[in-house]
Amino acid sequence: MAGKRSPARLVIALSIAAALAVFLLYASVAGGGTPSLAPSELQGRTDRVALAGQVVGRVTGDAHAGGLRFTLRDVKGTRTVPVVYEGSVPDLFRVGRDVHVEGQLRNGTFVAVPGTLVTKCPSKYTPAKNSS
Amino acid sequence: MPELGRAALVATLGLVLWALVAGGWAARTRRRRLAQSAQNALLAGFGTTTVAAAVLVGAFLRDDFSFVTAADASSRELPLRYAISAAWSSQAGSLLLWLLVLTGFSAAAVLLNRRTSRDVVAWATPVLGGVATFFAFLLVAVASPFETQAMPLDGRGLNPSLQNPYMMAHPPLLYLGFVGLTVPFAFAIGSLFARRTDERWIVATRRWALFAWTALGIGQLLGAKWAYEEVGWGGYFAWDPVENAALMPWLAATAFLHSVMIQEKRAMLKVWNVLLVIFAFSLSLFGTFLTRSGILSSIHSFTQSSIGPWFLGFISLVVLGSLALVFARLPLLRARTRLESLVSREATFLYNNLLLVALTLTILWGVAYPILTEAVRGEAVTLGRPYYDFFLQVFGLPLLLLMGIGPLVAWRRASVRSLVRTFAWPFGAALATGLILLGLGAGSSIPGLIAYSFSAFVLGSIALEFTRGTRARRALSGGSWPRAFSDLVARNRRRYGGYVVHCAIVLLAIGIAGSSAYDTVREGKLVRGETLAVGDYRLTYRELEETPAANATEIRAVLDVRRGGDDLGTVSAGKNAYTVERQVSNEVGIRSDLVTGEDLFVIAEQVNPDGSVYFRVFVKPLVNLIWLAGFVFLLGSLIALWPDAREQRRLAVRYAAAGATSER
Repeated sequence: MAGKRSPARLVIALSIAAALAVFLLYASVAGGGTPSLAPSELQGRTDRVALAGQVVGRVTGDAHAGGLRFTLRDVKGTRTVPVVYEGSVPDLFRVGRDVHVEGQLRNGTFVAVPGTLVTKCPSKYTPAKNSS
Repeated sequence: MPELGRAALVATLGLVLWALVAGGWAARTRRRRLAQSAQNALLAGFGTTTVAAAVLVGAFLRDDFSFVTAADASSRELPLRYAISAAWSSQAGSLLLWLLVLTGFSAAAVLLNRRTSRDVVAWATPVLGGVATFFAFLLVAVASPFETQAMPLDGRGLNPSLQNPYMMAHPPLLYLGFVGLTVPFAFAIGSLFARRTDERWIVATRRWALFAWTALGIGQLLGAKWAYEEVGWGGYFAWDPVENAALMPWLAATAFLHSVMIQEKRAMLKVWNVLLVIFAFSLSLFGTFLTRSGILSSIHSFTQSSIGPWFLGFISLVVLGSLALVFARLPLLRARTRLESLVSREATFLYNNLLLVALTLTILWGVAYPILTEAVRGEAVTLGRPYYDFFLQVFGLPLLLLMGIGPLVAWRRASVRSLVRTFAWPFGAALATGLILLGLGAGSSIPGLIAYSFSAFVLGSIALEFTRGTRARRALSGGSWPRAFSDLVARNRRRYGGYVVHCAIVLLAIGIAGSSAYDTVREGKLVRGETLAVGDYRLTYRELEETPAANATEIRAVLDVRRGGDDLGTVSAGKNAYTVERQVSNEVGIRSDLVTGEDLFVIAEQVNPDGSVYFRVFVKPLVNLIWLAGFVFLLGSLIALWPDAREQRRLAVRYAAAGATSER
């Protein structure tokens, strides 16, 4: 019976099975992804998450000595959270920009993982319109 | 002026709509005059779109900021060359570029093929017209590039990071690739409508597919080079959704370019090929959608974006409509031949296709994951770099290996014993490379070591292929070795051009492995006179320079570079402060070693008021092979694309025979 079938089907079936196996392997080794939250959704979360929000207020400190301190607010909302961050700061980072940073909430302050700060531009190709 | 632009777009919409409706009706009722009229409408549509594009570019060149698009993305200080590329930096401008390229390609494809494959072109015309109608409709009704306002004093300026020569070439090249895939798609759908199930659509569009694929590949490499030099975080590819948007259609098109060869040689995989071209085209639409709809920031902003829902609707229509058509034609597409052995050229092509499609699908899953989780759970979950890197290794390394195996396996059925003999040399090369590199300490990264060994294997097998071919050619016609070699390539451009492209992919693999698995990074704050050691380099911070330029103030930290006892000169890194745009951009310092292909990559992360600078420095071995791969890739593609009179004659004979049988 098997001899009559085209081996191509066997190959495809086996490769689908292999792909599934690889996927399961990946899921068990590396776990899931990182949830992306707004400051208002951060309440009570202590796992590692990505925080997305708008930079408001004053930016103080040194990103390479003691950490940069700033506040993130919901892009459409009023809830804020203080953030402390060390590492590279993107060119486009400043007050008014939407940014994305990974880390954990500790005692009410979001402690960022070094080097995870990225600005979320609306698109790579269009300049931000909030510069004025 | 804006009235002229708007009028030209409305005219384009009318013309391409005629190509869609009249062309469809003509093809269905076999009216030749009407079909001709629909094709001419497509040609005229190119003319009117060109007028619209000229009006838009004109506005940018004349600094006419009563155009909203020009005011948003240009300024008086912006150098002329960037004013042109700023024209397509906006959403509406980029859609206009899409339409311009699409109508241009449609016109060329119709003109080139309407004599040789009339029935397919008759049906391809309404498909091309349909795609163009969608874009023309968006430009007329949803996102017009010709919106006007009271003229402000100056524009907002172009995003400084886009003021870079690579960014002038990158978007148009990607669009040539995205849009170029429309032509094979339209011809495939056309031949399904025409109930023509031979491989003529493949032959007619082979160069289109190859051209689109080449443009997409080069465009992505330029984008990577731009990211490397201009964005300046020390890498060249970050699995950003915008990058993935271009990578996915390229991978799907790579699979397509390989699998069509099986249909041409063995008349197999007909359904698969049609599905692949639909997949590749849908992915190119999806790529445009991803970069332009705002869905990446959030589903919520996507529903507010003007073009997003339209795009999603059109993509669904294309996918569902094409699949329904394929399903309706399934009985006609049944293959008469089948795979004879799992050890044959066809089988290696099949494995290659499965791996490429699997890689594409995992990337698609990664891109869609945050969107899906936000829609289902209300919380976007992103899959990061580890996810993509894992799958690149799992699917990419076997692909690399297959690239060495495929070309040496016989068609139909290969004996295992002959394979062992054939692969003795490449296998030896791989083993030797692996052992030597292990001795040199490359064992610090196992995937890197595997990539290097596999690369040696592929290069060995390609060298073997070239040697065997040249020897056979020389035995056949005599003459010198170089003569025989050039004869060999000239007579089989597609095949040997393909091998040259394979060499480029190997260079790419070596460059990626070297620069990502074996790089070194150090960082620290230096005051003038202090030194930082990175790998075997020693960098001494000498001074800070500040120079005013046309549209920016340039601040540079100058460092003396020494390696061992050698003075390698200086490298400077710093920041540009753009006046009009009120933005700061990092300007990295790169010192390339052209002998070893290694880069010393310096970022001045933070310039403090006291003159001290926080530096981050990378040593990236072999990274320059990635850019070299671009040139080799282009060379190989050109060899395969070059017109071939012998091939044309062969095809003409074959078509004459096929035409005779189909008319019987």
